[in-house]
Amino acid sequence: MSQLDIEALKKEWVGVQFEERSFVLDPQNMAEYASACGEVAACYTDPTDPDFQAPPTFASSLQRGRGLPEHFPKMPGLGMDAGKAVEAFAPIRPGPKTSRTHMHDIYAKTGRSGRMIFLVIRMALYDPDGTHVANADTRVVIRERPTEEDQA
Amino acid sequence: MILDLHTHSIKSDDGRAKVENYCQWIRTRELPIDGFVLTEHRQFDLESDYSKLAADFGLTILKGAEVETEYGHVLVFGVTAPLLEAFDFSDIHLPLARVIEACAAYGAVPVPCHPGRKRVGMSAHLAEYGVPDGVRIVETLNGGSRDNEDAVAQAMADELGYRGIGGSDAHIVSHVGRCATRFPAPITSEQALVEALNGGEFEAVSFRDA
Repeated sequence: MSQLDIEALKKEWVGVQFEERSFVLDPQNMAEYASACGEVAACYTDPTDPDFQAPPTFASSLQRGRGLPEHFPKMPGLGMDAGKAVEAFAPIRPGPKTSRTHMHDIYAKTGRSGRMIFLVIRMALYDPDGTHVANADTRVVIRERPTEEDQA
Repeated sequence: MILDLHTHSIKSDDGRAKVENYCQWIRTRELPIDGFVLTEHRQFDLESDYSKLAADFGLTILKGAEVETEYGHVLVFGVTAPLLEAFDFSDIHLPLARVIEACAAYGAVPVPCHPGRKRVGMSAHLAEYGVPDGVRIVETLNGGSRDNEDAVAQAMADELGYRGIGGSDAHIVSHVGRCATRFPAPITSEQALVEALNGGEFEAVSFRDA
C-alpha cells in the first residue's frame, strides 16, 4: 500500500463544510463550566452579572455531531486527539448561536515514530446577527502505519 | 556569545511557548545564554518582528527554519526571500541535495538536526542513501535527545568530519537553553550568524545538568 497523498487530500477536502447546527447557550451551563475551570470572576460565574459571558475556551466544548465529513477517506492508522485551540473574537453570551464546521487544514510531518497526518477541524461560532464570535479547532493526529515498502 | 540555535514558538504547530515567555524564563532563571534562534517547523516566520522584545530583554532573537528531507530534519540559517522561492518549506519530502544547493546559492547554512535520532535523523538514512555531499555542520547536542542519540550524532560527526552545534529543540518554555552553541564574538543578525557558522569557530555546549 502506498502512502496517502496529502496534497490530493487537501485539494479535495480542505474548506469542505460538513456540519451546521443551531442551539441555545444556557447561562447556568456556562457558569458551571467557568467554575469547573477555576474561574472566580463574576463575569464568568454569575449569570446576573451585566457582563456575563463564557470563558473563551468554552467554545471548544460546543463541538458536536460529525467529527469528519461524510465519505472522508479512511485514514491509515488510529486517530488520536492532538489538541484544541480557540480564537476568540467577541464575548460568548447566553442565547441562540449557530456553528458551522469545516475541514480547515490537512498536513503531514515526520517524527521519531514515522509519518503523522494531522487533520484540523474548525468550528466557527456565530451570534444570530452574524457576528463571528469564535473559532474552535480540533486537531486529530493519525500515526501512519508503515507501508510494505517501509518494512522491506 | 552563547546562542540556543534550535527553538520553536507557538508559530510551530507543536510549539507551546510564546517568544516573550522564553525571554522571561531566560532572565528570571538567569540562564547562561545570550539569545536564541526560532526555527519553526516547515516554514519561515516572515511576519514576526522580535526586535523590541530582544531590546527589552537584552537578548539576541533570530529566525531560521526546520525543514524535512529524506535524511531527516534540517535547520536552515540565513533564510532570505530568494531562498523561500527556491523550495517549498512545507514539503516533508524535500531532497536534501536540493536544500543544500539552494542554501549554497542564496547564502544560507543547512544543518541536519538531531542526526542521531531514528527516522528523522541523518545517521538513520546513511546506509540507504549514502553520505550526502555538502554537509559541513550537524547538530551534535540536541536538548530533546533521548538515550544515546547525541552520542550517535557525535560519532557520525567525528567520522565524517562535521562540526557540531547545539540547540535545545525547545517546544515549551522550560526547555530553552538546554543545549546551545558558543561563538567567540557577538552575533546580532541572521547574516552574522551565517558568517559565524561559515567561519567554523564555534562549539556545542550542554546545560542539561546545570
